[in-house]
Amino acid sequence: MDNTLSFTKPLLETPFHKRTFEACYNNDWYRWAGYKIAREYSNTELEYTSMRNTAGVLDITPMHKYDIKGKDAIKFVDKLVTRDVTQIKPNQVMYIIWCNEDGNVIDDGTVFCFDKNHLRIFCAERNLNWFSDTAIGFEVAVKDVSDSIAALAFQGPLSCKILHLLNVKNIENLKPFFFDNFDLNGSKVTISRTGFSGDLGYEIWCNPEEAINVWDSLFKFNRDYKILPAGMNALEMVRIEAGFIQPNADFMSAEQALRPNRMRTPFELGMGWLVDLNKNYFTGKRILNDLKKKPLTKKLIGLDIQGDKPAIGSVLYDKNRKEIGIVTAGMWSPSLKSNIAFGYVDNDHLKIGSKVFAEIYHPEELEYKKIWAECLVVKKQFFNPQRRHKVPADI
Amino acid sequence: MKKFDVIIIGGGHNGLVAACVLSKKGKKVLVIEKNEKLGGLANYAESLSFISKEVIDELNIKIEKNVSENFVSALSEDLNHTVLKINDSKNIEFLQTSASNSDQKNFINLINKYNLFARTLRSFMFKRPPRVKSGSRSDIWQLFSMGFKVRRLGKKNMRELLRVIGLNIADDLEDNIESNTLKGLMSNEAVIGTNLGARSPGSILNLLYNQATNNSLFRINKFNTNSFLNIIENICKKNNVEIQTNKTVEKINILNQNVNSVLLNTGEVIETSAIISNTDPKTTYLELVGAPNLDTDFIRRAKNYRTKGTVAKVNIEFESEIKIKNLDSSYSSGKFVYAPDIKYIEHAFNDNKYNNLSLNPCLEFYINKNQLSANVYFIPYLINSSHDKEKILSNVKLILEKFIEENQIISSIIETPNDIENKYNICGGHWSHGDMEIDQLLMMRPFYGSSQYSTPINGLYLCSAGTHPGGGITGINGINAAKQLLKVQGNG
Amino acid sequence: MSKSIYDVAIIGGGHNGLTTACYLAKAGLKVVVIEKQSYVGGAAVSREIHPGWTYSNCSYVCSLLRPEIFRDLELSKYGLQIIPYEGSASMLDDGRYYAHYNDHDLTYRSIAQFSKKDAEAYDRFGKDVMRQCKIIKPLLKMTPPDPTSFAPKDIMGLFDFAKFFAAKDELGGLGEKEIYDTIRFWTMSVRDYLEEYFESDIVKAHLAGSAIIGTALGPYSPGSAYVLLHHYMGEVDGTVGAWGYSRGGMGSITKAMAASLEASGGEIKAGSPVNEILIKNNKTYGMVLENGDEIYANKIVSNLDVKRTFLKVVEKKELPEDFYNAVKKFKIRGSSGKLNIALDDLPIWKSIPEGDPAGTGDLHITQSIEEMEGAYDDWKDGRWSSLPYVDMCIPSINDPTMAPQGKHYMSVFVQYVPYNLADGGWTEEKRLEFGKHVMSRIGNYSTNFNDIINHAEIRTPKELEQEVGLTEGNIFQGELTMDQLMFNRPIPGYAQYKTPIKNLYMCGSSTHPGGGVMGAPGANAAREILIDLKKQINTHYI
Repeated sequence: MDNTLSFTKPLLETPFHKRTFEACYNNDWYRWAGYKIAREYSNTELEYTSMRNTAGVLDITPMHKYDIKGKDAIKFVDKLVTRDVTQIKPNQVMYIIWCNEDGNVIDDGTVFCFDKNHLRIFCAERNLNWFSDTAIGFEVAVKDVSDSIAALAFQGPLSCKILHLLNVKNIENLKPFFFDNFDLNGSKVTISRTGFSGDLGYEIWCNPEEAINVWDSLFKFNRDYKILPAGMNALEMVRIEAGFIQPNADFMSAEQALRPNRMRTPFELGMGWLVDLNKNYFTGKRILNDLKKKPLTKKLIGLDIQGDKPAIGSVLYDKNRKEIGIVTAGMWSPSLKSNIAFGYVDNDHLKIGSKVFAEIYHPEELEYKKIWAECLVVKKQFFNPQRRHKVPADI
Repeated sequence: MKKFDVIIIGGGHNGLVAACVLSKKGKKVLVIEKNEKLGGLANYAESLSFISKEVIDELNIKIEKNVSENFVSALSEDLNHTVLKINDSKNIEFLQTSASNSDQKNFINLINKYNLFARTLRSFMFKRPPRVKSGSRSDIWQLFSMGFKVRRLGKKNMRELLRVIGLNIADDLEDNIESNTLKGLMSNEAVIGTNLGARSPGSILNLLYNQATNNSLFRINKFNTNSFLNIIENICKKNNVEIQTNKTVEKINILNQNVNSVLLNTGEVIETSAIISNTDPKTTYLELVGAPNLDTDFIRRAKNYRTKGTVAKVNIEFESEIKIKNLDSSYSSGKFVYAPDIKYIEHAFNDNKYNNLSLNPCLEFYINKNQLSANVYFIPYLINSSHDKEKILSNVKLILEKFIEENQIISSIIETPNDIENKYNICGGHWSHGDMEIDQLLMMRPFYGSSQYSTPINGLYLCSAGTHPGGGITGINGINAAKQLLKVQGNG
Repeated sequence: MSKSIYDVAIIGGGHNGLTTACYLAKAGLKVVVIEKQSYVGGAAVSREIHPGWTYSNCSYVCSLLRPEIFRDLELSKYGLQIIPYEGSASMLDDGRYYAHYNDHDLTYRSIAQFSKKDAEAYDRFGKDVMRQCKIIKPLLKMTPPDPTSFAPKDIMGLFDFAKFFAAKDELGGLGEKEIYDTIRFWTMSVRDYLEEYFESDIVKAHLAGSAIIGTALGPYSPGSAYVLLHHYMGEVDGTVGAWGYSRGGMGSITKAMAASLEASGGEIKAGSPVNEILIKNNKTYGMVLENGDEIYANKIVSNLDVKRTFLKVVEKKELPEDFYNAVKKFKIRGSSGKLNIALDDLPIWKSIPEGDPAGTGDLHITQSIEEMEGAYDDWKDGRWSSLPYVDMCIPSINDPTMAPQGKHYMSVFVQYVPYNLADGGWTEEKRLEFGKHVMSRIGNYSTNFNDIINHAEIRTPKELEQEVGLTEGNIFQGELTMDQLMFNRPIPGYAQYKTPIKNLYMCGSSTHPGGGVMGAPGANAAREILIDLKKQINTHYI
């Protein structure tokens, strides 16, 4: 890992780079927050399958990590986010979103509570300025600790079993959305039962010096249980199946949108359940309070699309061929054997069971074929196995 | 525990005017003032040249005009001073000057031009500013009528207005006048109390604003400031407004985005359902309301609101009566300006940009027997450091020595913007509670989300100079804020 | 002495004059361009001042040239190619440098060295500026409506203007907040504007450079943020705000335009200064050249700045007094100097390593906005800046045609330099002293610069005025301040490319949308002339 700034090396390497570099046969890299992350190690389908069949290892070091320390740590996060976090307990994780003054979502993430004076927020976009400006008036220090923590997502039905085999004590009893400190093959790590795959899975946080040992340990039982490192393409598949949305993919972050109408409120994103209007003041509360009373004009919904051609980038129509929305993400789901997508549609079509049409352009031997496919509006969460929630987890 | 309909934070003139309006409507009003004396910054004002019809009608007051004549003397180093007699905004005559006849004529023409524009501005200056794209019909109508009023100037004048509004005063003066003294005199009015130099675009707009709110380009002394303050204080008393002085509001308590009560430095908590803050927007939001009650974007804007004060008040007591060299003593009831030319002002302003005090400051002063009271600029508000007051005084002394016949200084008081901040809780000690530049005017004053005297907090209103139409002793901010409150409460 | 007759004669063969000429020729008109120099190009020229070297001796980089014009005039066919920048940098006294790259992540890391917050804020800043660029883009092509007029055309223009802000989809539905942001951006000082985003001095200084280039404003002057926008609103292949070199120097642009003009049947008379514009009954019908040639035309278009046109070429008696006085008041101030330097080798910078792409774009010498404002203070007092803001580039690194093999050409733009020095006017000695002053500042940042100077051309605003004809040497043909923008440019009431003299038009940068090698004033003027002639033309721009 050589991260000195030089114009010849625009991208940073994560503490796992030595391993990911070896494993990335395709040498196909994706840019994530200035880091080099494998897009595809060898084969996306296999990487995806390992996450659904055994377990997959994802380097998620580029996640942004902000330490919130001080007397008002909880108050600060409570002001920041739409959920009531005042009751958060040590070792608990909460999924959070935060909005700007117009009630448009800036980003989502998770907050970890170490103790009442120390929380840590993990998120996909850079938020240092937003957090710092939000911290005005609170006795709290916001620090970007992104570079000092290495992180892996370890996702899949065998993830608990392998950690158990690695003598991670009592890992099976770690409840979803909780974390604790563990010893993993001699390395001190923090493990949370969280993830982006919608399946049983963990996220492992450690000191960059421990990174290689942690990585190697996870692959220790590969002769018995073949797990694979998984790239960003595979991650994209599992997150769509799980119904997770992503800023700057399914909507523009309110801090980054050039065009005001590309921003989305939590209600439009189907995240209304995360908005608690009875809690203390948070940024956007006033507007969200008003919006809650008004009918939604547009919403992000799940689509079950006829046929097997992914509807990526498609425009959506009603039966009269009037444009009613767009597809923000779509794929053929190997687990569901369905053609699924997220669609952003207008108010007449956002009810579950509505029918809309997608115009899909599909390449067939150099020629694009236009497919007119009927779509059924469904819940966004396409995949949600029982094992994901089980406590103790399967070992 | 006492309960009031409205609590007004700060007994400045706008706060008192608001109290008058509300108490007349039967509201139980409490005014809390930090200092012993009411009036706030208005106590500093040597002149009160205009009381608008809006104020006179609303408060139903009669106020005596000063009978004394108004003089403005521009001091010149060669002791060839220029003295203007100002009868009213349209009637200005040169009593003495070294400027040429054509300069005098052009100077008066320029003033008339500004007068015309200021009158147009004044027609919407004293109303609640309309918001753009708010969706409100009254706003659209008002914007339309503003446009109409500007158009009514006629083609030629409208074009000139649209041109000079973005221009700097130095350019317009240099295009029309030769005399340095006259240029300095006019520039003084355009830049005093601002963070603008004579060459900064926007200085003409500031001049027009001053002229519109004062109905006079030179801020002459037509009314007695104290008697105006006394009148509104008396109305308050008559209407049973409770006034508590020597108390500071430490916090505005907010419950579910509604104002609930105020916490005083004495530990008292006073409940109320409505508050009008006469302190500046930055202090109101960041100190009294507190950032935790506001959206982050809003805090950003509050933080970015520019309030660097630039004028220091210097009061000097001399041993004997003050005499200006080579000037008839009958003019000494007027205002004296030392801003000899544009370059001088610009140099004084240069220091201000880098937060240094002007080595050669500009002065505007009044004398009363052996008392001299001066506004000295540019003396910038300093963050994390303090002023060398000795230095300020000696700089001022050096200038005064040129013009005042030998006299001994007995005592002096200097109040820098930092002192003004401490004394009146005005962020930055800014005369107008914030720079009067286009991006902080009209519906953008103080900033988006807080225009039209409203705030994001239900029941909290602003009436300070940090709202439209800005600084000056107009009382308009107070009236409009009170009206806005009444309108929201449904009995406007 | 010859007499010739044309449909349209254009005085001045700068890029705007040529653009106007090209469009009119394309519409089938018989067009001639009259240029006083023996070469066309105005301030967009490539000249071999020093044997073997090609200097872009006035304007030096390209971004604002409207792509529609590039396309309409088929400039590529006539040899024009734009080479995009690979980066830019500001050099600091402490040996560090602030670098900007085409690679977003690299730029982030570069800024993060100075401040992590600023690196992040840069994205927000970029987004906000980009939005303003998108707002201004359609305005560039617009003939500014006259807000004082009740003519249907003007009322419609104002209505379009209002509709534009009200439009839902055009810009993603601008709200109240975005409209105020626009007003703020157009009126604030660049320093106040940047303070709202950034904390680090060098980050602010690097970005503020664009706001002072060519103007008589300092970074603390309200209105300077607009000048920044004016420099950002260009594009290279869709990348808004990007700058590039014109291959073969800036003269390639005008050479290609001239070739395009000739291909469309237009004529160019170079080396023919105009002596007099013929006016009768408030109507122009032709001109007399210095050599006595007479040229008659239905329409005459002046590419000269408004002051030169109406104070030097057109006689005072032909003009309404108000107009004449307004022209006299037009602010056109020289504030910039230029050094063109032939180098025997590549300069080695103390801070920027060899090969760093940031070193191949524009290089600034500045430490802070305060320093830049101090440079402006000097200018106000009639001195050249003791610590001038320097914007250098070495086009020959990327452009193989500019200098002999192994040698290089360096363009040095200097802000601020007054048109008139307070201590008596410019003399040859002072000009050289000024050049030395700038070169010694550059020399402080390089280990070999002083030893590799082969030749230097030193230009103050005086030289720019003498050679190109720009009054007072102002590069924008008039200050870009609120009082001289949009419907105020150049003269309130005369912002629609027309003048008080019938059949006499303006097409230079004195007109909306202002300076820079943009071509928009020229194309807009052509459109107005075609409307008056009731001629239609089918191009991308018009």
